Amino acid sequence: MKKRFLLPLIVFTLIIAILWRGLALHPSQIPSPLLNKPAPSFQLPTLSNPKKTTSNKDFMGHITLMNVWASWCFACAEEHELLLQLAKNQGITLYGLNYKDDVLAAKKWLKEHGNPYQTVAVDETGNAAIDWGVYGTPETFIIDKKGIIRYKQIGAITPEIWEQNLKPLIQQLRNET
Amino acid sequence: MAARQRTQYATAGEKITMIPELGNFALILALCFSLIQGVSSLCAYRKNNAIYFQLGTTAILGQFGFLAFAMLCLIISFLNNDMTVMYVQEHSHQLLPFVYRVGAAWGGHEGSLLLWCLILSAWTVAFVIFGATQLPKTSSAKIVMMLGFISAGFITFLFFTSDPFRRVFPNAPIIGDDLTPILQDPGLIFHPPMLYLGYVGFAIAFAFAICALIEGKLDKAWVQACRPWVILPWSFLSCGIVLGSWWAYRELGWGGWWFWDPVENASLLPWLSATALLHALIVSEKRDVFKGWTLLLAIVTFALSLLGTFLVRSGVLVSVHAFASDPTRGLFLLCYLTVIIGGAFIFYGCRIKHFYQPPNFELFSRETFLLFNSVVMLTAVATITIGTLYPIILDALNLGKISVGEPYFNTVFLPIIIPVLLLMGFAPHVSWGQQSFIKLWKRLRFTFLACLALGFIGPWAFGFTFYWLTGLGVSFGIWIILATCQYMWQLWKSRKKIEVQHWSMIVAHLGIAVLALGITLNKSYSEERQVKMLLGETITLAGYQFTFKKMEDTNGSNYQSVTATFAVQKNNHSPQLLSAQQRIYRSHDQTLSKPGILVNVWRDLYLALGSSLPDGGWSVRIYYKPFVRWIWFGGLMLLLGGLLSLLSLQKKSRD
Repeated sequence: MKKRFLLPLIVFTLIIAILWRGLALHPSQIPSPLLNKPAPSFQLPTLSNPKKTTSNKDFMGHITLMNVWASWCFACAEEHELLLQLAKNQGITLYGLNYKDDVLAAKKWLKEHGNPYQTVAVDETGNAAIDWGVYGTPETFIIDKKGIIRYKQIGAITPEIWEQNLKPLIQQLRNET
Repeated sequence: MAARQRTQYATAGEKITMIPELGNFALILALCFSLIQGVSSLCAYRKNNAIYFQLGTTAILGQFGFLAFAMLCLIISFLNNDMTVMYVQEHSHQLLPFVYRVGAAWGGHEGSLLLWCLILSAWTVAFVIFGATQLPKTSSAKIVMMLGFISAGFITFLFFTSDPFRRVFPNAPIIGDDLTPILQDPGLIFHPPMLYLGYVGFAIAFAFAICALIEGKLDKAWVQACRPWVILPWSFLSCGIVLGSWWAYRELGWGGWWFWDPVENASLLPWLSATALLHALIVSEKRDVFKGWTLLLAIVTFALSLLGTFLVRSGVLVSVHAFASDPTRGLFLLCYLTVIIGGAFIFYGCRIKHFYQPPNFELFSRETFLLFNSVVMLTAVATITIGTLYPIILDALNLGKISVGEPYFNTVFLPIIIPVLLLMGFAPHVSWGQQSFIKLWKRLRFTFLACLALGFIGPWAFGFTFYWLTGLGVSFGIWIILATCQYMWQLWKSRKKIEVQHWSMIVAHLGIAVLALGITLNKSYSEERQVKMLLGETITLAGYQFTFKKMEDTNGSNYQSVTATFAVQKNNHSPQLLSAQQRIYRSHDQTLSKPGILVNVWRDLYLALGSSLPDGGWSVRIYYKPFVRWIWFGGLMLLLGGLLSLLSLQKKSRD
């Protein structure tokens, strides 16, 4: 008789336990299906010289940080300072994918804010970005020496994210042959 | 560059004042008042001291006043374009139209929580003015105490984890991020307040339940005092859900009006259990049974409101409504939920023995019907909760990330809700205590058979395709209408008068019938086409000819847009014009398709622009949506039914 009235409490406790566990997980961190797969192939003109093209083969032999950006993107300006520092100090190859942007506006933006990228591929139509599974700007991929995607960051890189996730990973990738 | 941008936007009227600090201060004072309200009411019923009563009541007014003042400060900050306030910067823009700047005050997490607190205190004020007089002083003190503690918890949450007045100094961004484009709609201004008026209002019924548990008794006076505080929030919630569905229909551009999205489920769950509570209260009042059950439903309803708030605000579930989330907020809310609801359930388990009563009714009676209603509603609650939480359960067990969609909900919800429709027709005819089934069947058999015939043959006779499920849905919809009308007629025959309380039931039940008919017919006979159209081209859908007439640029204050005009014609009637817009919101670099809708009672014609194609054509989605207005009209009838019921209660208390 008495136990029946405990039923709501038991159900409630169960729900709370599930929610408790659920809080520790991050539903918005959707793992990229491209993780640990070779970078999708592309061939795009570069920003500095439209006649020259760049492709995924350029990722071979070094650790690459590929940053998807655009001149119209506010959040890109936020992480730009960090990217400039990385380009100076960390000795990794920074690669830009200029997403759905006006070429002149992109050039002007880099002139004003400084250019951390070794090469910038121009993806005016956004087709290459679809292959890469890009949700929006900014997004950042880390690609290892064999051209395999090892990490994806959706949204701007903050100094904390750099220290916690990217820096240790890059260190680890360096030690890999 | 910064200076240039600042002058560019200065014309839009940007003022930095100390108003946000005043707002912040008001929040602290409101928190203090809510604590005073809780503690002094506790002392009031412990010591039965008039001064404590007075203090508790005054504190409520203080709390409400300061929360209203804080809300006002937030709105003024929005109107001033004070971009140093982080919340304003994230949800507004110098070019955002005036009305949306007011609505933006509750368009995000922090502001909507402030609205939550404000509405809770408004309900408390309303209770003290209109409801407390019907109860002994010590009982109302218990209720006020409970509400004070609930409110204190929420204001603490608001102030410490989600302060809407937080400033960004000294390097404040100059331009606002702007309100998410899909929220820039009149629906935003009314929908959240209406919804919150609904589910925050259930706090009062919860406090009533706690009061009854403390006292160990639940009498007729308690039920009569409690009923308005269930009916009113229930009416608002019905209206809020309908408004939300109308907003989704107009803004999301897919012609859908219900997506089984976690946020929508969060509002449906308390509605279902409140519907059960509503009916259980009637039994408690008339027949003095189901008391423990009523109390349980009151607790569960508020628990579901809080669960909904948690699901929406903590970000454990990702939904199309996509609110920002923060783990500390989720943690706080979860602890809050555990303390308030867990505590209530434990208390319930300990005290429930005082409420047990042997049943005094036959198996076939109105009591059983109403009990069945409760059980079905709770089953529906359980299945929807499982569907909503299922992704978390799987994720928690490391089985991968999935989302549960419409197919699950439609499959499980229909078998639960269809029997309810069947029994709803019988329910008013069944008498209290006991009822002979033979008599009931004799009275209603012709109506019933006529409905089945109408439902199954009707659509077919009108040239619609025949589906079994549609036939069933239509029959049961008509069945509720006819059976309810027959009840009305019988009332009229025996009494020559139909009381307000009967009207309220009749209108609400007819509302459900209209809703069911609308949903069934809409789901069965909607048509859509997705086509490429060039200027001058004509497409036919469901007998309507859509001709692409012209395309022009039309810009709004914070977006650029193109408007396409179509002429719609059926047979040889004169054509009507329909224009759909494609907007690009600069600040978000987001495209939004504003569909054009032609409305009448029987159908909507709904047209949304897709993307422009290289050859100058456009991809266009055209929908034929029969009976879609019935869904919202049914919802409004529920609101009307609720308000009528309130009227009848008021009349009863006057007599």
